[in-house]
Amino acid sequence: MTTEGLVLAVVLTFGAAGSLAAILLRDVLNAIVAFAAFSFGIAAAWVLLAAPDVALTEAAVGAGITTVFFLVTIAKTVRPGGDRLLERIEWRSVAVVAILVGALLSTVGSLPAVGAADSAVATSPVTEYYLGNAYTETGVENAVTAVLAAYRGFDTFGEATVVISAGVAVLLVLRQEAYV
Amino acid sequence: MSGSDGGVYVESTIIMTTVRAVAPFVFTFGLFVMFHGAESAGGGFQGGALVAAAVLLLAFAFGIESTRAWLASALVRTAIAGGGAAFAIIGLATVALDGAFLEYVAYGYGSTGTKYGIELVELGIGAVVSGVLVGLFFSLAGGDFELAPGGDTDAETGGEEP
Repeated sequence: MTTEGLVLAVVLTFGAAGSLAAILLRDVLNAIVAFAAFSFGIAAAWVLLAAPDVALTEAAVGAGITTVFFLVTIAKTVRPGGDRLLERIEWRSVAVVAILVGALLSTVGSLPAVGAADSAVATSPVTEYYLGNAYTETGVENAVTAVLAAYRGFDTFGEATVVISAGVAVLLVLRQEAYV
Repeated sequence: MSGSDGGVYVESTIIMTTVRAVAPFVFTFGLFVMFHGAESAGGGFQGGALVAAAVLLLAFAFGIESTRAWLASALVRTAIAGGGAAFAIIGLATVALDGAFLEYVAYGYGSTGTKYGIELVELGIGAVVSGVLVGLFFSLAGGDFELAPGGDTDAETGGEEP
């Protein structure tokens, strides 16, 4: 195993441990902190897989803002009492999760290796076109941004519309609640 | 773990001092990620989230209610609406100039025009994302502080929330 692979394995193990802790810890506050740790591990994994744009989003939204939203929300709820540290395990739920995870894992074998030269993404003429022409056509050095805001700008416009409408809808609902 | 002060603001010198030092850098980094999305990793979504995170930091350190009062809610609403409108106008103006939607070349400045068009779009997205996130945070947190009048006064630390 290469050093890079080893670091990635460590980071992913950290993320998996964080997610497991988030599931098992009984106290909601502990679970939220564990969930933030999970997001942080995944963000580090994105960096190692050469996807800094996704890593930034995961770190800022997943580890940062979602955590704060969760904290603000549990401040209004009652935390379960008792001294137990861990949640009681529901074996039937574990069985369902195991089946789902097994089904997903069975597809992993058919994925191309990370960074493989003959993967569909690397050999696609679309990729070649973007990488070859993005700078001359848009003057932008980050090909991801060129695709997001120029070649696929209409999709991004739809995405921004989704953010606006979802935001406005939630803001309206929450404000409504305050006046009841 | 104490759980007794859930939801009410408690003044902490350590948090206030740290946030006072860190928040300007987080805010600047957010703007940098937004502006510099064309040359390096990042863009409107990421930068907007970072700018919102800086505001959330301030709210945690100095009290949510006083931060909300300082940051006029009209500003948040304007950011959401203005960001979306900027994106739409930049996109539709090219249609008016006989191009396709968001066909930046129609502005007649070649790839330079395309680059600055992209930067403006990213700024618009950043305004939308940061506005929505900050607005959501204040709305979510809003309820707590109706119980504790004044918001940033030291609330009593006894008793769990009902």
